[in-house]
Amino acid sequence: MKRRLSWWMGGILMSILLLFTFSVLGADRPIGASTYVPYYAGILFGMDPQEYTYLQKIEKPGAWEGVMLLGVFIGGFITSVFITKTFRLTIVPTGWKVYKNNSVKSRLLWSFFSGFLLIVGARLAGGCTSGHFLSGMSQTAFSSMIFGGVVLVTLLVTGRFFYSKEEIK
Amino acid sequence: MSITEYFNFVVVRTEAMYNIVQNEGHGSFWMVLFIGIVFGAIIQYTRVDKFEKIAGFAMGKDTIIPKMLFLAIGITSIFLYFEIKMGYASYHPKPMMVSGLIIGGIIFGIGMAIMGKCPGTGPISIAEGRIDVAVGAIGGIFGGYFFTRFYDSFFQALMGVNYGKTTLVDVSGDYAMVFVLAFGIALILIAILIPKMELFDNADLSNLDHDDRPDTIAKKENETFTTIK
Repeated sequence: MKRRLSWWMGGILMSILLLFTFSVLGADRPIGASTYVPYYAGILFGMDPQEYTYLQKIEKPGAWEGVMLLGVFIGGFITSVFITKTFRLTIVPTGWKVYKNNSVKSRLLWSFFSGFLLIVGARLAGGCTSGHFLSGMSQTAFSSMIFGGVVLVTLLVTGRFFYSKEEIK
Repeated sequence: MSITEYFNFVVVRTEAMYNIVQNEGHGSFWMVLFIGIVFGAIIQYTRVDKFEKIAGFAMGKDTIIPKMLFLAIGITSIFLYFEIKMGYASYHPKPMMVSGLIIGGIIFGIGMAIMGKCPGTGPISIAEGRIDVAVGAIGGIFGGYFFTRFYDSFFQALMGVNYGKTTLVDVSGDYAMVFVLAFGIALILIAILIPKMELFDNADLSNLDHDDRPDTIAKKENETFTTIK
């Protein structure tokens, strides 16, 4: 069995899944994967939807994505254990050790901070890699093209300055 | 709120989540869960949820993410156009709120480069045992709380004016098919033309047989790659 899918095979399968999800046979809507976070936050922080306009706004898409992301979790677990054999507990990614530093504390603090940024940024823009890039640009939406351009540039600039270019010893 | 009240609240809200999805008409609970499982499996199987793939792209050392992303968008945009023409689907574009898109895009891009994940790939990495990503998810939950809490007083205004949900299909009128085909084909070509570079993580491959390892295969095919330990 092949342990990794090639990028083109992954791209084709992802297209089929997107087309299926868009169709009336699937869900008649695009795939998105960031609205679920404030939705879960609303549940975990015990926030009453009556009091927060944003929770009322995302009541339906948040629930849809909340269920979908449970599936994503299950799907990722199954393939990591049975196909790619990559399930293991780790704290600091190898790439971080090689191009940033070897500190658990640094990685966890940056993770917390960047996780916070990811969600605030995605909710400000109204979508993330799934909702804007994959689903939005497939619909040729100008909003998603703006988001895509800004993210690509910021990602490359941040990567250039945040990590060291050569392997650190 | 007491602990019992909190527990009841979580149960009630979780049940509501199930009921909303089941009755909303965007696929049954099991359909949505199925879509999620396939989504997670495709991403995990191609390994594009890995830190070395996403942060590696940010560092300019790995190009699998843009190749796969642009290919998927290119193919989907073309077939989705015809799917909609035949009446099997419809467009659901996101609104043009320019300042939200730009400010949000910048914040998101910084977060993505540092975290090496995005909100869709994060749960996959947690499912395969990445503890740092679980900590990032806690940060994300706080981000979601912060955004919800200050939506009315701050974030809504920051998102700016809504210029409507414009797409290339809307503005190109009678020539929509030509424009969509050109858009889709251009993205597919970009995906193919971006030079293939890969950053492999030795720890990620250590459970595989020598001949199954993607870096062994890449070496055989003379591709550009780096394996880090």
